[in-house]
Amino acid sequence: MHTHHSSDRRRTQRLRSVLIAGGAMAAAASLLLTGCTGAGASGGSTNDPDAKVTLEFWNGFTGPDGPALEQVVDDFNASQDRITVKANIMPWDTLYQKVLTAAAGKNGPDIVAMSASRLPQYAAEGLFQPIDDYYENPDFESDALADAAVSASMFDGENYGVPVNLATMLMYYNMDLFTAAGLDPEAPPTTWDEFAAMVPKLTVDENGDGKPEQYAIALADHETVPMYPPLLWNAGGGIVSEDGTTSELDSEGSLEALNFWVDLVKNKQASPIGLAGADADKLFQTGKAAIEIVGPWMTTGFNDAGLNFGLAPAFAGPSDQITLADVVSMAVPTSADETTKQAAYEFFAYWNSKEGQTTWAEGSGFPPTRADVSSDITGNPYPAVFGAPDVVDNSRVLLPGIAAGGTIMETIFNPALQKALNGKGTVDDIFTEASKQVQAELDK
Amino acid sequence: MTTLQTAQTAPPQAAAARTDAPRRHRSHRKAITAWLFLTPALLVLAAFTLYPMVQAAYLSLTNYNLIRAAEWVGLDNYVELFGDPAFWNAFWNTVYYAAVVTPVTIGLALVLAVFLDRQFAGRAFVRTAIFLPFIVSLGIIAIAWAFLLDPNIGLLSYWLSQVGIVSGQGVLSDPQWAMPAVMFVGVWKNVGFYMVIYLAGLQSIPEDLHEAARLDGANAWQRFRNVTLPLLSNQTLLVSVMALIASLQAFDQIYVMTHGGPFFRTETLVMLIYREGFQELRFGYGAAISWVLLIFVFLLSMIQYGYSQRRQVRY
Repeated sequence: MHTHHSSDRRRTQRLRSVLIAGGAMAAAASLLLTGCTGAGASGGSTNDPDAKVTLEFWNGFTGPDGPALEQVVDDFNASQDRITVKANIMPWDTLYQKVLTAAAGKNGPDIVAMSASRLPQYAAEGLFQPIDDYYENPDFESDALADAAVSASMFDGENYGVPVNLATMLMYYNMDLFTAAGLDPEAPPTTWDEFAAMVPKLTVDENGDGKPEQYAIALADHETVPMYPPLLWNAGGGIVSEDGTTSELDSEGSLEALNFWVDLVKNKQASPIGLAGADADKLFQTGKAAIEIVGPWMTTGFNDAGLNFGLAPAFAGPSDQITLADVVSMAVPTSADETTKQAAYEFFAYWNSKEGQTTWAEGSGFPPTRADVSSDITGNPYPAVFGAPDVVDNSRVLLPGIAAGGTIMETIFNPALQKALNGKGTVDDIFTEASKQVQAELDK
Repeated sequence: MTTLQTAQTAPPQAAAARTDAPRRHRSHRKAITAWLFLTPALLVLAAFTLYPMVQAAYLSLTNYNLIRAAEWVGLDNYVELFGDPAFWNAFWNTVYYAAVVTPVTIGLALVLAVFLDRQFAGRAFVRTAIFLPFIVSLGIIAIAWAFLLDPNIGLLSYWLSQVGIVSGQGVLSDPQWAMPAVMFVGVWKNVGFYMVIYLAGLQSIPEDLHEAARLDGANAWQRFRNVTLPLLSNQTLLVSVMALIASLQAFDQIYVMTHGGPFFRTETLVMLIYREGFQELRFGYGAAISWVLLIFVFLLSMIQYGYSQRRQVRY
């Protein structure tokens, strides 16, 4: 490589007076050669345990959790001097759009964080490599991690991720709005029926123009952390069966839940229709919704807004009281070589170490991925609330290990829900049809 | 866009046959000079228009996903496409969008141009105000309109509610009103540009033609109908081809304001191409839709061109 490089340059010098343009092209060519050499040095399929490695880490923690994440990254970089992790924080939407083109261009990230619900789709397309060997190394203390967090990134019998967090959803309720409605601010609804009975008091249309100024609950139906699907679980239904092979959208439980909630929202105005996740957060944050069921990332924003809110497990349905667990996992692109992968493992292990998880939970309010640090977290009350054993044990990941998970949510479930909420057919008709589409996606 | 660019950069007429050798030689040299001047533009066209088009044509015959090597699937993507309800939904949404936005934009641009061709105080300000949206990024405009139309914090929603027009869930998530809303923004954004083209056309019409018509007893409407409008036919062709192509490619404001929703009511073909490519990771299928759109645009442009050619008027 080196000889080619210098002979190119000599030739260029000889010709420079004759052809400036030719010289420019040769310079470009030698740049290409240099780039080639650089890539060659870090290439290879064996681990070089002494190589200096810089890891580009893409994630979407743009909220108050971002600084907490960067703190853990900085601590890791300071804890050793071989590996440098660079956190690149961008909105999740942007990350999902860019990750594929970046990976295809060989210029992409070395570690990608993404929702475990989305990961199988990318794994199925060949973007990520399986990392089962991470869990075989006893030094990494993987046994201490919550099972739900580890198994969320399983796809096709192999594990493609290491957890960043396991965030459970709880019911935030605005105590001042409860008081104003003549309700006990210490007694949030514990069942669907209790909630339904409160809707006439918590949905307020002061000027009688048909559009409430205040809603009982903010339920987002698109571009959101899933808010409706857990309701299906609690009536004994769901979107797909546990083994991921059969659509359950037209099951008795699913249709019961959907009929109940579409009626509450559409006819009794329990929530606005057409909310995106960010709209729902905004509605609760500005005191225009009395309840929102969402994850620990909102605590900072709601506290900063001066809201007087309480936290409780979301109301139970007729058969269950399961809440959503949103797991974000870190994955390694297929293009990463062995040295890069092993360096990423070092970071994964630090992230999930006692030290890393204490810093993360304290700073972000997320529950730690390992229960054995709970007693060390004293500066922030929320990790214990969201990580309480009865909450975590009754939580479930949406569509884990299903490659079509994203498609099912974005192109079948959410549009069907919006149709039903807008009165474009009956719940039974719409979701029986949607169920066939889900089955078709699962069969692909 | 492609058809337009091709039309504008058509190669210069080859040197016409001449009888005397020196003149032929000179015109031959002229042609070479012309080609040399065109080379940079042609190279850009080849690299950024022609090559992607050919590449997309190839991809449309594969199951490419950006990561794996592309596998040849023949015409499978095209066969699937014509039986895909999502494609037909997007196709008819695109036709609906174009059928409303194109004539409304052109008509409004013409009316504004005629009005702003007159002398009145503040004319420059009004012209600028109407042209301004065109130079602002459509993405930013769409964000601004999404805020104005927000059912809970939107200024426009508030004003409308003050006069008794209440939209319970906001126009952007209302299946009846989402499409008109994105159409409105599309018209508002581009009308200023077409107005300027018409203004230039109006100013090139000699005043004596109007005067002659007036002496013949033509009233204002007759003068407009029989003098102004026919003499604007060149502008009308240009504007209608551009407006139609722009509206068949509607994407930006839809992506920002509704993301194709609610339940795909505002999903146009370009939105679908984006969804299939970047969300479903099916670049081969997306490329097939792109080619169907390209052929559709090309055919429509040809029809427009042929129609206008026959109607062209000169005095």
